[in-house]
Amino acid sequence: MSSTIFFKFRSQKDTSRILFDGTGITVFDLKRDIIQETKLGDGTDFQLRLYNPDTGEEYEDDSYVIPRSSSVEVRRSPAIKVNGLNGRVSLGNASRYVTGKPRVNKMS
Amino acid sequence: MEQEQVAKTSFRFFGLGGSNEVGRSCHILQYKGKTVMLDAGVHPAHQGLASLPFYDEFDLSTVDILLISHFHLDHAASLPYVMQRTNFHGRVFMTHPTKAIYRWLLSDFVKVTNIGSTSPLDKDENLYSDEDLAESFDRIETIDYHSTMDVNGIKFTAFHAGHVLGAAMFQIEIAGLRVLFTGDYSREVDRHLNSAEVPPLPSDVLIVESTFGTATHEPRVNRERKLTQLIHSTVMRGGRVLLPVFALGRAQEIMLILDEYWSQHANELANGQVPIFYASNLARKCMSVFQTYVNMMNDDIRKKFRDSQSNPFIFKNISYLKNLDEFQDFGPSVMLASPGMLQNGLSRDLLEKWCPDDKNLVLITGYSVEGTMAKFIMLEPDTIPSINNPDMTIPRRCQVEEISFAAHVDFRENLEFIEKIGATNIILVHGESNPMGRLKSALLSNFASLKGTETEVHVFNPRNCVAVDLEFKGIKIAKAVGN
Ligand SMILES: [Zn+2]
Ligand SMILES: [Zn+2]
Repeated sequence: MSSTIFFKFRSQKDTSRILFDGTGITVFDLKRDIIQETKLGDGTDFQLRLYNPDTGEEYEDDSYVIPRSSSVEVRRSPAIKVNGLNGRVSLGNASRYVTGKPRVNKMS
Repeated sequence: MEQEQVAKTSFRFFGLGGSNEVGRSCHILQYKGKTVMLDAGVHPAHQGLASLPFYDEFDLSTVDILLISHFHLDHAASLPYVMQRTNFHGRVFMTHPTKAIYRWLLSDFVKVTNIGSTSPLDKDENLYSDEDLAESFDRIETIDYHSTMDVNGIKFTAFHAGHVLGAAMFQIEIAGLRVLFTGDYSREVDRHLNSAEVPPLPSDVLIVESTFGTATHEPRVNRERKLTQLIHSTVMRGGRVLLPVFALGRAQEIMLILDEYWSQHANELANGQVPIFYASNLARKCMSVFQTYVNMMNDDIRKKFRDSQSNPFIFKNISYLKNLDEFQDFGPSVMLASPGMLQNGLSRDLLEKWCPDDKNLVLITGYSVEGTMAKFIMLEPDTIPSINNPDMTIPRRCQVEEISFAAHVDFRENLEFIEKIGATNIILVHGESNPMGRLKSALLSNFASLKGTETEVHVFNPRNCVAVDLEFKGIKIAKAVGN
């Protein structure tokens, strides 16, 4: 029996869903599945953010597990330049969800 | 949700697309509690949802009116999506010819993107369906050039933009503040269109395209001569010429040039034995629209129409092709084919067929967006990827040339127009980052003498989803506070 997460882009009227096995899905896997399902491409020119539609809170932690049957709100926003800890400038985008490499050192 | 309340006196510009890029134009204006949206395009280098402006970043239900500048896909193709699939419920306006052509163009766009989907399970591949297009179409309202509409205190007037048939600039007035949006515009009289107009009333804010940045165009006669000579010499050596064009708009200008040249040089061109084809069913369907609106074009073409009593857009030397099945590829020929940036479809199929032969020529006449095949082929790569067979590459030996007939202003024309408008706040849109940045510097140095005065000119080149806030104290005196 597969489980479901309902998702809706913030600007859209209709809700779509993601099917998976298990009692919950990590933010990382859910973002990857949504990008794949909606054919958003390689993730270089946008960020994908997930929110709890009831509280408006963003799911920032890639390892957080969202329980099955939940609804999430999705926002596609432009990629941004991020100033890293060591002064290096990197691109804040969704490409890691496509390449499958989780973020190693999480800030804060 | 992060959108803080905009202060009562401040004007906000918020770009959802087309800021520091060419493609998916969409800009939001907010002033005194009114919200105006300008254009709803798609990005030609992307497909599906990825091609949309960043609609999640703005609450579209707050938009009062949406004005569409012209029918090109980068300005109009996400309109059915906005009207049918989001919570937008504002009123939508465009000119009569834009609406007439928009209908044909977008049903073609739906079809083309349909064919692009690989699996029958991809039913949601499309941004919208034919039904969405039909349902939303009747709710689009039309506006005449030079007439002013008033929607709940938002006044707006359409002016000729000179870019394609039906293209408009909009001057919008809210509580005494006037904003001019150029859309794509040209200040050159060409073979069928007039130059863009300068509105009689001044503007406080100018939102202007920056496609060509600080580049300068060669005079039109030189470009025409180059175009015809290149094509002539290619067919004389037995080569084929591929002109990737967007089906409607600039293609008609190219055809006016070629049709005349072919008539004048029939003898040299093997007694008319070298054919010119236009592989577009869509263009044929839309020819009546071009005839209907001849009165919106320039004096020259109107005179031709009156004198000959025939449609100047019915060409003597150009035949239409429905598809490539009916095309017998035996000798030299000239082919205009869509899409203009070689992403897929007819023009791409012909490119893959013809590019291995060094006798052939690919001639780019439109503006090529970053990330498309048209942009790539201009680097003259040794091979190109095949679209039908992703594992295969195709050798490229054909000649590749670019001669622009894109009908966007160059630096000199843009500067002259900007000076005539005299707005003290200039927001640059519709340009890749580098040319846009160069244009900003050039404008700032041009207006440097006004620095510190009441008429100091502020120039902004915001990124997508970065707001520009301007403070207007009792109108006229503007002070930049954001960005
Ligand atoms: Zn255009
Ligand atoms: Zn454009």
